[in-house]
Amino acid sequence: MGTTQLLFWLLSALSIFSAMMVLISKNPVHSVLWLVLVFFTISGHYILLNAQFLFIVNLIVYAGAIMVLFLFVIMLMNLNKDAEPQKSIWMKLAGAISGGSLLLIFVSVVRSASEMQSKQALLKTGNIGLIDQLGKTLFSEYVIPFEISSVLFLSAMVGAVAIGKKH
Amino acid sequence: MNAIILSAIFGVVLMMASAFVSNRSLYKTIALACLVLLVGANIAETLGYSFFTIDTHNMLAFNKMGLFFNTICFTATLLYVFISSSEIERVDNYTAEYFALIFFSLCGIAILTSFNNLLMMFLGIEIMSIPLYILTGSDKRNLKSNEAALKYFLMGSFSTGILLLGIAFIYGATGSFGLESIKVGTLQMQLSILEVTGCILLLIAFAFKVSAAPFHFWTPDVYDGAPSVFTSFMASIIKVAGFYAFVKLFESRIETTSFATNPAVGVNWHLLFAILIIATLFVGNITAVFQQSVKRMLAYSSIAQAGFMLFALFSVNAFSKEGLYLYAAGYCLATIGIFAVLVRMKDYTFEGFNGLAKHEPTLAFATTVCLLSLAGIPLTVGFFAKYFMLAAVVKQGYAWLAIVGVLFAGVSIYYYFRVIAAMYFKSADENPAAVATSSTVKIGLAVVVAGIIILGVWPHALLNFLYF
Repeated sequence: MGTTQLLFWLLSALSIFSAMMVLISKNPVHSVLWLVLVFFTISGHYILLNAQFLFIVNLIVYAGAIMVLFLFVIMLMNLNKDAEPQKSIWMKLAGAISGGSLLLIFVSVVRSASEMQSKQALLKTGNIGLIDQLGKTLFSEYVIPFEISSVLFLSAMVGAVAIGKKH
Repeated sequence: MNAIILSAIFGVVLMMASAFVSNRSLYKTIALACLVLLVGANIAETLGYSFFTIDTHNMLAFNKMGLFFNTICFTATLLYVFISSSEIERVDNYTAEYFALIFFSLCGIAILTSFNNLLMMFLGIEIMSIPLYILTGSDKRNLKSNEAALKYFLMGSFSTGILLLGIAFIYGATGSFGLESIKVGTLQMQLSILEVTGCILLLIAFAFKVSAAPFHFWTPDVYDGAPSVFTSFMASIIKVAGFYAFVKLFESRIETTSFATNPAVGVNWHLLFAILIIATLFVGNITAVFQQSVKRMLAYSSIAQAGFMLFALFSVNAFSKEGLYLYAAGYCLATIGIFAVLVRMKDYTFEGFNGLAKHEPTLAFATTVCLLSLAGIPLTVGFFAKYFMLAAVVKQGYAWLAIVGVLFAGVSIYYYFRVIAAMYFKSADENPAAVATSSTVKIGLAVVVAGIIILGVWPHALLNFLYF
């Protein structure tokens, strides 16, 4: 068993464990922190697949920006034991049915993916997820939309200043 | 390319002007000069003088039709800024920023008339709409304006999500963002259900953008809550540009995804469009009848007019194409004209217009001409615009739909004439107009009235430009 495989199993086990902990932990702040760990482990998988760009974007956007936003919302809501909503039996039943349907779909997808069983995931190889590939595509084929989106951001910035500034 | 690059640059120029030019009354002069240059540059490109040669990788395709539509939109904006620049100054302190945002919006319009790729279409729609969210909320101390901006922003982002989902479906089915390569791809391969799903999602997103029923719910609140001077811009120039992109997108794939060519998974587009048109005409016209405020009535009437512009989508032929250009010009002129009068009123209800003809005969006359054009009375451009749309439908063999259109146009006469009746046949003791009419506004309104009547007598003054 090479290092890559070892890392793969380690990351997988860790991501499943922390995903479980997101659901199990009672304190919402702890849930969010476990969720951050889930994102880190999934980003680790991206590194194993040689997709550095996805790795860093996943970290910055999900683990960084979105989770911090989550934390802020939870702290602002000031949740505690008393404020916890009472869930009726129907809510639980509906949750079980919808979650179970999703599980059914996942199981059927995994079972029917017989062509994937013979193939192995490409670890450490392939350059499609590297930043220089992305940069080359972005600045050759997609340079026009790339440049024009600057107008979009500029107008959003002008608007944000015009709306947000005090007199 | 001239229009896209220059409008973005002029936006930056105005943005900089707010930092370095302290004389606030200069902004509108700069904006007007930039708009004149923009119209000139666009006409120069129509005549073949492109200032920039850029390899767009076939993502943008500039043709005379699109450039001519640009000219119509930019000229309408020029007229709009000329008439209402003093009102824009009165909204808040950020006059130069508002002008900059209007220029960025025009940049979006220039992309929407030339896109050849779904990616560019998405960028164009966003560049056009994001400045509008801000202009809607520019009256910061007015709660209604805040509510309208938030509502518009949330609903707009939601429809953008649907648009992106549709694009993703089409990309998944065909492996390309291009309009042209999709055409080639679907002819070679079998039509996939994913592409059809994508097209329907795009239809929903665009129906939202042009406020066609049943996706119109944001329109009355946003048009009512936004400062009237910006409602004028949203309801006229932005709306017709949205329609141009709508028709441009769908005319390239109605064939390939239709029920006739692909009985297995194709869509019966004519049925779908007919439902959309009738729902839009019904909701717009019937609800407009019951309004008490003229501004809200105009919001519903803009939904009703959207129903008529949807005829261009229903029947893609030469008639409907000409009709769309004429409709764009006529609708912009009339809307800009009537809103220029509306912002001058103390009271936006129908009673607020009582006796306007006695106190301000010029304003009353201009309003009358604009309303007659919106109602589609002969000798105004609105008549020919509706005529071309209906003729296009009849030519496709759907006379019953044209009859439905005429019936609803009849309903619309009722609420347009309520304003005219209030102005001419009812009297009020004091002058209903709050602001004295300056000579600039009078000149602007004269241009509007002249445009409506000249195009109403001789529509080919505009349409001939399509063919030379």
